[in-house]
Order: sequence, then C-alpha cells, then structure tokens
Amino acid sequence: MVKIIVNGIQREIQAPDDTPLLYVLRNDLQLSGPQFGCGLAQCGACSVLIDGKETRSCVTPVSTVANQEITTLEGLPARWAKQKGLSAEEAKDTLHPVQQAWIEEQTPLCGFCQNGMMITATGLLESNSNPTLAQIKEAFTNSGPSPHLCRCGSYTAIIDAVKHAAVIMAKGGK
Amino acid sequence: MSISIEKPANAYQATLSRRQFVKTGGALVVGVSLVGAELLKSTSAKAAAFMNSLDPTLPTSWIEIHPDNTVLIRTGKSDFGQGTTFTAYRQIVADELSVPFEAITTVVAGDTDRTPDGSGAFDFLGRGTPNIRKAAAYTYQAVLDLASERLGVPKDKLSAKDGVVSGDGKSISYGDLVKDQQLKLTIPVSGDLTSIFGLRVEGNPPMKPISEYTVIGKSLPNSVIHPKVIAKETWATDVRLPGMLHARMVHPKTLGSTLVSVGKLDKTKFPNSQVIVKGNLVGVVAPTEWEVIQASQQLAGVTKWTDWKGLPGSAKLYDYLRKEADWTTAPVTKSNAAKGDVAPILSSPHKKLSATYQFSYMKHAPIGPTMAVADVKPDGTVHLHTHNQNPQALRGEIAMMLGTTPDHVIVHTYAGPGHYGRSNGGNAGAEDEAVILSQAVGKPVRVQWMRAEDLQWSTQSSAAFSDVELAIDEKGKLAAYQIDHYMPAMQDDRPIGAVIAGLPTMPAPQVESKSVTSTVNGLSDPWLYTAVSNVAEHGHGTFQVGQKASPLAVGIRDHSMRTPGQFQQNYPRELAISEAAALAGADAIQFRIDHATEERVVGVLNAVRDASGWDTRPSPRPNALSTGSKPVRGRGVSLMFRSGTYWACVCEIAVTPSTGVIAVEKYTIAVDPGIVMNPAQLKRQAEGGAVMGISQALLEEAIFDESGIVSRDWYTYPILKMSDIPEIKVVLLHNPKVGSYGGGSEAANALAAPAIAAALHDATGKVLRRLPLKPAYVQPVLKA
Repeated sequence: MVKIIVNGIQREIQAPDDTPLLYVLRNDLQLSGPQFGCGLAQCGACSVLIDGKETRSCVTPVSTVANQEITTLEGLPARWAKQKGLSAEEAKDTLHPVQQAWIEEQTPLCGFCQNGMMITATGLLESNSNPTLAQIKEAFTNSGPSPHLCRCGSYTAIIDAVKHAAVIMAKGGK
Repeated sequence: MSISIEKPANAYQATLSRRQFVKTGGALVVGVSLVGAELLKSTSAKAAAFMNSLDPTLPTSWIEIHPDNTVLIRTGKSDFGQGTTFTAYRQIVADELSVPFEAITTVVAGDTDRTPDGSGAFDFLGRGTPNIRKAAAYTYQAVLDLASERLGVPKDKLSAKDGVVSGDGKSISYGDLVKDQQLKLTIPVSGDLTSIFGLRVEGNPPMKPISEYTVIGKSLPNSVIHPKVIAKETWATDVRLPGMLHARMVHPKTLGSTLVSVGKLDKTKFPNSQVIVKGNLVGVVAPTEWEVIQASQQLAGVTKWTDWKGLPGSAKLYDYLRKEADWTTAPVTKSNAAKGDVAPILSSPHKKLSATYQFSYMKHAPIGPTMAVADVKPDGTVHLHTHNQNPQALRGEIAMMLGTTPDHVIVHTYAGPGHYGRSNGGNAGAEDEAVILSQAVGKPVRVQWMRAEDLQWSTQSSAAFSDVELAIDEKGKLAAYQIDHYMPAMQDDRPIGAVIAGLPTMPAPQVESKSVTSTVNGLSDPWLYTAVSNVAEHGHGTFQVGQKASPLAVGIRDHSMRTPGQFQQNYPRELAISEAAALAGADAIQFRIDHATEERVVGVLNAVRDASGWDTRPSPRPNALSTGSKPVRGRGVSLMFRSGTYWACVCEIAVTPSTGVIAVEKYTIAVDPGIVMNPAQLKRQAEGGAVMGISQALLEEAIFDESGIVSRDWYTYPILKMSDIPEIKVVLLHNPKVGSYGGGSEAANALAAPAIAAALHDATGKVLRRLPLKPAYVQPVLKA
C-alpha cells in the first residue's frame, strides 16, 4: 500500500507499487484530468505537478511519489486559492487563472492534450510570472522529458492563453 | 383528459397536425411542447435501422422548445474540436428560430438513441444548409402557425424576436405558446441513416434572410471548452461501467500474419487475466488496467504468427505504385473542368514542365490512441461507448459484424481526441474489438489501444502520385495543363478487429464499392484557373497496397483525413502552378490571378498578398542559393476551394542548404467562406489547420517495411512541436453577398505543403516534388 497526497488529500492506494501513477489517478481515484496519450513520456497528455514540477504520470511508478504533493487539473483552483490565501467562500467559484485564460482565449480544439498544457503553464507561471514568447516556447518544447504535443495545432492559442493568464495572475486573479 | 383537434395541413412539403390539450381537474398535461418523438413503428427492414433512434421526420426530434423558453437541439454529428455543434449549430438555430443564442442550453450530439440524423463531421455545414437549419426553419413556421391561432392574428402579420411572437399589438413567448400543447409536424427526409452520409432533411421551408441574421457572425464561445478546461467533461476515456474489465489486444505480427498458436499466459504473475481468441484476433482482459497491460505484453512475446512480407516498403513505394500496382480495373475519371485539347500544345515547342509529384502516407495520429467500452447484454443488445465521428455508421457496422439489425446496437458518443476523419465512415479501431471481447466474457469491456497500435493498426491518409504536363505560351500564359492523379483506394471502412476475427464486414475496397470506399479515384480538387483554354484532369485508382496479397485482406488500409483526396490532388497542382509561374517569369500570385475568372478566387489571392506583405516578383528570388550553411529565405503561395470556402496561404521559410532543414517563419492565410459564422472560432480553426498542415508538410510520413507500418511512437512519427511554429496571421473575408456559409476547418491543413515547397524553390532555385519536405529528401535535391 502506498500513501500519496493528491490535490491536498492523502490517499491510500492498494494498487501494486509499480503501477504508473496515471492509472492510479484515473482508475483508482477516478480523476479525469490526466489523459493517456502515449504511455512513453513522449507527449505530455498525462502531466501532473509533483512538488510543483511537471511530471509525466504515465511512466511514474506510484511508489516513487509516496507522500509527495501531486496536483492534477482538478486541483488547480485549490492550488491557486491556497497560494492567494482565499477564504473557502472566495475559493468556491474561483478558477485557476490558467484555466480562466484557457476559457477566455478559447484555446482547446479537441482538448485532449490540454491537461498537460495547463499543468505546464501553471508550472511555468509559478516560476516566471511574465514569460516571453521564447520562454513559453521553450517551456512547452524543452522543459520536460519531451515536447508537449498538440495534434490539433492549438499552439498559438496556448501561447495566447499563457500570456493572458500572466496578466490575470499579475492582477491577483479575476 | 385531453381533447384532441387534429388539423392536418400542408406546408413546404411538411405535414402539420396539432392537438390542443386542455387542463381539467387535477390532470395537468405538462406542456413540453414540440416534444414527444416517436420511434418509427414499422417492421420493414429499412425502418428497423431507425429503431432506438428518434423519428427524423419529426422536427421535435431535432429541436425542443421548452415552457421555460429554453431550447434543446440534437444532431447525430459529434464534435472533434471544431466546436461546430456548440457554436455554429446554436447560432444557426438561434437565427432561424428567432431565439437568443443563450436560450439553446442543451446540445445532444452523437448518441444513436437520442439523435435523429447520421453522417459525419465532413458534413457539418451541409453546403450551407445543414439538417439542423432546415429543421429549425420548419419549427419556426410551426411556431408562427401556433401563434396565429392562439393570438387570432394572421400569420403574415406576425414576427418573432428573441423567442417572442408579436403582431397586431399582441405577443406571446415561445414558452407560453408551447405550454400544454403538443405539435406534430412531419418533415421530409431522405437517405440511409447508417450509411456514411446519413439522412438529409428535404423540402424548402422559408429560411431567414441573411440580412436578418443577428447571431450568426458573432464570436460566441464554444460551450464545451469550459467543462473540458475544469475537468468536468466526461470523455470516452472516463467511461467506467459496473463490472467492467480492462482489455488490451495482441494484434498479429504483420499486416498479413495469421495465428499459429496462442502463447500461455503466466498465471502466477497475472492471476486475474483471461485470454480471448476469435479467429486471428487475440485479446486479454483483466479487472485492472496495469495487470492487463503487462499480461498482454507477456502474451505477445509467446504468441506465434505466420510471417508475411507482401508490401513494397517505403523506399520502393513510388516504384511499386508506378510499375506494379494495377491501375486498369478502376475506370479513369475525368474532371468536369476539362476543356480544349491539351495534346497539340503539349507536343509543340513551348516552354514546358513535365513532372511527377509524390505524396506520402500520413497518419491521423490522434493524441490519444483509440479506445471504446462495449457492453453486450445477454439479450444481444449492444451498448458501445466511444468517441466517434459517425456513430450511426458505426452502429450499422457493429450490427453487420454480429449478424443482427441496427436496432440492437446503441452507440453513445463522448468527447475524445480528434482523429481528423478516421472514423467518418464509422470506426476508428477498438470499437469492434470491445464488442467481440464483451460478448465473449459477458461483461462490459474497455479496449484501449496503445500508442504503437494506434500508429500500426489504424488506417492512414493514402499515398499518391501525380504526373503533370503543362505548357506556357509566348505571352507567358498557361496554354495547356494536364494532370493525372494516381491514388490507391482512399477509404477502407471495414472494422479491423472484425476483419482479423473473420467476422462479417463490408467488402474490401473494390471498383463496385459505394462512393468513397471504391477503388475509383474521383477528382475532388475544383479547378480554379478557369481562364486556361486547354485543361485535362484524370483520376486513376487501384486497390490499397497489400490488400490483395495479405492473407488477412488487410494491407495498408487507407482512410479519409482532412481534405481527403483533395489534398493529394491540390498539392501537385498548386506546386505545379507555382512552377508554371516561374517558367513564365511571372509572379506566383499575379500568375494565379491572371488565370482566374472567379471574383472570389481573385479576392482571396489579393487578400493574402496584402496581408503577407508579398513583394511581386518571379521565383526563384534574386540570389537564390542551394548551398552553404547560412539560411536562405523564400516564399510561396497556394490556393484551394473546398466546401464552399476559398482559401489562400503564403508561407515564408528559411532553409539551411547544408542541413536541408526548413523552418516556416511566417504563415498568412486568407479565408473566404461567404458568411463568416463565428470569427473567433474560425480563426482558431484556421490556426490549428495551419499548424497541423505545416506538420504534415515538413515531417509526416508513415514508414513501412515489407510487413507493416514501422512508425510506432512520436519519435518515429514526429509531429510539429511548439518551438517550430511560425508567426501565424489569419485574414477572414466576410463576404455576405455570397449568401451562404462554407466549411471552416480542414482545408487549412492542405495549404501549407504546396506553399512551402514553392518557397523552397523560391529560396534555392531547386524543386522538391515529394512530401514530406524533410531534410533527408531536401538535401539531395539541393545538392543535385
């Protein structure tokens, strides 16, 4: 049995130790944010934040992330609320600025890869509040084990959304 | 109790009858009017196909107006990222029905038991009059008829706005109008629900004049984006049924291998796994996903297959297509643009071009591999949960596989990774296998293909080659143009699991096959240079590569992918036209304009010229260079007409001759769809198509050896990454006088390839007539 912390809640996992985190999140914890794209850490559809770092859950054995802070797409609003010290009432209807920007920029096409894109955007903006175009391209291409791939070609919409999210975050949300 | 007043009336080929309900005592007839679909109550074979589906002859099957003034719409077409069902369809209905966009609160799409029509995403806008538009127009007339009766005002004195009918100083909301009413309007439909093209609403109901559109033309948001972004959307991948088993397939070793022996599963390691075999189809099921992944890998290692080497391999593909493929069985097609006589001009001493253009096999390559959950009930009823472009066609295919009728099959459709045409004929892979396994174990089964399977066992966009001959006269005009397109059958709609299992499917592509699944190569790229006097275009078709040789009758299966067939024909044409301009010493855009007669062709070319800052001059550029390690720059243009929309694009590139690496630096695209339905969404679609098109042009080629596809992951089938994208500029040409709206997504995919190839010529003076424009192919041409 492995204990992991997902979106701030400790979970006891019965799955074998070598089970990739992706299957634990999707099947045991019924989370739908991370998606199976390749199982090879080549696309980024399955990304989660582990202690703030973008990680490919499809190749990460669950036993290796015991007691580490795992944030999935579902946990982004709470992550933002905690960072901004929002009250429970304030947090209730608050989205993470990255999610808000993704909606306002109408970024997803099919949307299947966007989980990883939003996770990576969050990681990027937490370390660099106002990234340049080159830094955005670098983050989505070279920061992880592989480029984050979008087959529908939404890269321009992702760049627009990252820039927009930076503006929202600079204003402290909204 | 209710009193029924039946009043049949005939309007616009529709039959109207109304029943008015009155409230008495405690019996309140809840007024969800314009609701109340009926299944066709017929036992004929044709009607059986409609069972579990709504009656398409009732507008209520398409559109519901609720007493609270909200509206629900239904369509059999499902969203693959275009957003059409959530934006354009709502806008169309809002305008035709005179209700606010926001009143359309529910969109039911794809589920075969809850939607009235079929067909696929290629047919979203139905050449300007999609089924949902006509259904809305019929419904609007019915609303006016009801209001006329209720208000005692003649119909021609009534008008509607924002869901309220008014006239002669009286008014009533749609909600109040339909409350306690039940309306039955029968509308004419034609077609075959489970065919690739589905049903079509017929007749000519009055449509709203374009001048009265208030919703179409606005950048309204796509309502499915919000739930996807906050992880509230139910994706097909999220479907979990009680007792569901996970499955993985052990596909044959090659595209022609048959099963010799099934290996032994290691039960000490995988105690809960079970092997299922049907014909040559092998699958493993287990309660947990991780166990079944490992069990299937272990089983694959010990299962024996026959060897098969019946394919030419990528390196010999074009030789094979030219010299060995049989182009004689399918009749040669001719385009209706043919005119004059090309032969004497092509044999006279003009400046001439005679060249062959080669188009690679490309994968749809959805970012998530295909998957499906099937639940075959003890009574034989099948529930199939998946992400599918044409659920009604899939339903027909599953029924055929099981030897049952479509009424026993219900397909439930969910969001999923776009796959760009792969399932427009019904299946994408995995659906049929899930059904076979579920039937075998008597439980719901979830089949998930792995990344390698999704590249190696799926269909692909067909390879092709084209021979062009053209001549330029002494005035620098294109005097004769001849093109011969050669392409194997472009669409194989047989479910692959059923084929491997030896279960019934439609036949493999042959001359006699219906429409797109035939080996006949139809001409699908409309000729746009209508000032040219002598034109000949021919299409030559054959069987899929390996289809006849494979003991499984499989081979390299092809399928529609974004602008199917037309991409294969437009790429050679547009590159050849750029070459013709160079031969004439003319500017590539001006040359096109000089050979066009259609106003919209000229308009879209002028727009892309202005927006890209194009400097008018011939290609290649002065000082074009094909050697050295410094990047050289060039630009090219391309043009296409598809689904009512004119597209032109300019690509500006930098190519490093020593490496053959091409970077697209700027991409400008002009789009004239007639009426621009939703500017913001069209811009996003065009940007997406641009990026995917650049990816296809620069990188994409499904590599195969003598046994099958060897591309197996994102390194062996690379696609464009974010760092490779150019600056993209989209110019939307709103052109309402056209009087209709054209399709707005897939054509952008096809434009990049010929424009980049022309830009390579502009930069270097050398022409590469082969896709993709990858360094391994670019370098030798530059060195030659």
